[in-house]
Amino acid sequence: MERVTVPGTRRSTAWVVPAIVLLLVVGITVYVGSVPLDSSETRSLAPEVIFTSLWQHVQLVVVSTVLTIAIGVPLGVLLTRSRTKGAGAVVLAAANAGQAIPSIGVLVLLAMIFGVGFWMAVIALVAYALLPVLRNTMVGIRQVDRALIDAGRGMGMSAREVLFTIELPLAVPVMLAGIRVALILNVGVATLAAFTNAGGLGSIISSGIALNRMPVLIVGSVLTICLALTVDWLAGIAERRLRPRGI
Amino acid sequence: MRKSMIAVGLLSVVLTSGCALGGNGPGQAPGAAKDGPLKDATVTVASKNFTEQLLLCEVAAQRLESQGASVERTCGMSGSSAVRAALTSGAVDMYWEYTGSGWLTHLQQKETITDPGTMYQKLSEADKKNGIVWLTPAPANNTYAVAVKTETAKKLGVSTLSDYAKLAKSDPASAAFCGASEFFGRDDGWPGLKKAYGIDLPQDKVAELAEGPIYNAIGTGNPCNFGEVFATDGRIASLGLTVLEDDKKFFPPYNLSLNVRTATLEKSPEVQTVMEPISKLLTTTELQKLNAEIDVDGKTPEEVAGAWLTANKLN
Repeated sequence: MERVTVPGTRRSTAWVVPAIVLLLVVGITVYVGSVPLDSSETRSLAPEVIFTSLWQHVQLVVVSTVLTIAIGVPLGVLLTRSRTKGAGAVVLAAANAGQAIPSIGVLVLLAMIFGVGFWMAVIALVAYALLPVLRNTMVGIRQVDRALIDAGRGMGMSAREVLFTIELPLAVPVMLAGIRVALILNVGVATLAAFTNAGGLGSIISSGIALNRMPVLIVGSVLTICLALTVDWLAGIAERRLRPRGI
Repeated sequence: MRKSMIAVGLLSVVLTSGCALGGNGPGQAPGAAKDGPLKDATVTVASKNFTEQLLLCEVAAQRLESQGASVERTCGMSGSSAVRAALTSGAVDMYWEYTGSGWLTHLQQKETITDPGTMYQKLSEADKKNGIVWLTPAPANNTYAVAVKTETAKKLGVSTLSDYAKLAKSDPASAAFCGASEFFGRDDGWPGLKKAYGIDLPQDKVAELAEGPIYNAIGTGNPCNFGEVFATDGRIASLGLTVLEDDKKFFPPYNLSLNVRTATLEKSPEVQTVMEPISKLLTTTELQKLNAEIDVDGKTPEEVAGAWLTANKLN
């Protein structure tokens, strides 16, 4: 069976991404320190503001990704069982719609109906990122060699044991690839949470846009990029750890 | 294989044909140019991206077109600073600006002026050297304001901004405030308001939303009872909101005035005479009515602008 490897996860190149992130952070710190800032810019780029926004953003990404995995993986497993063949198409269509519908529209709709805040933003983020996790779980399980499953059944394993000792471990590389995509998507889409009082780096970016101040816009955008790169790098490390031995 | 290729081809043609359907997108010039004093003029009209601005963008564009000009629209730009930058750089020729915004935000003046006449005088003088002409201002004063649901205002006993500052100290939970990015960033917005009235709200009682949802939030009291609104917005009346009185006169006058590049006026001086009759018709109540037709009745800015110009015999 071919080894499914994602670039950038091998030991030798694992330092590249953190180096780039460090460079970007140092770069914008130097930039902000050197450029004269007016009162609006100083307010928007105050260290407390940046750290609070960063922390809110991290919380949004972590909580929504955990929920996406908690919903997407079991759902994906369920849909690969022979009893639920038909439902797969319907659920995938719904996940597709969740990603296709503009998240800002979902956020404002939720704001009108239920109110604003952290959990509404998390709902919108989960809807957006569900598709890659769900689909990759389904594909990962389906691509497990039929012969191995038969061997397991032949050895007397129940369907549940086959799932947990054969199918899931072998599906992990593909599932993790989907989870990594979901994480990066969440970092990007979480910038919209600022429009419904969930904070995050998006509030720095939208200040920069509304007030047309380049330094603010650059800092918000670069920090979002750094967060996405860091999150992806950490996920890569997790992928290497969780990959079953011998695969 | 061949049949599925043909099917895919037909499907893409059907789906992309929707793109060819009409509609005024930004930067499109619809309709043939009429005859009139501006027959050979080509101008670009811009605006910010809230309802009143979109409406006035259409009003200006349709009025100029009715006099023969060829008009390109870039309505709905992302913020005051963006559209101002487009004007000073020459990317667009005109847009409707508010005197207070021009004085405090664009020209970064510190002097407080409360009289609309004086504001307009000093502002138009000062901006001449930037190559911008401020045409005769309209009576409408679209100032920033703090609004609250009328019943809530009565219940909390709040009718002025000074009352609100007292409420913020005594009962922060009831005094929760919602605002948009631009209001929180501008010196003539929340930061200045806080200082002028001594409003001291804990950070978790101040919520940042996009402009639209603020009205709904105040209407339902969740997450805030008070919020930043524009004085000429049609939703103030329709949602039963009251605007708190600015008793210390912190907010400057924000009268509408069409900003036109000096170069554009030199090339087509008729623009001034053509747009003149419109300014004096724009009062606060008139704008509230027109804005409500868009925000509450759901009409498009193009429709409302066209109907209004026709009713006033200006197109």
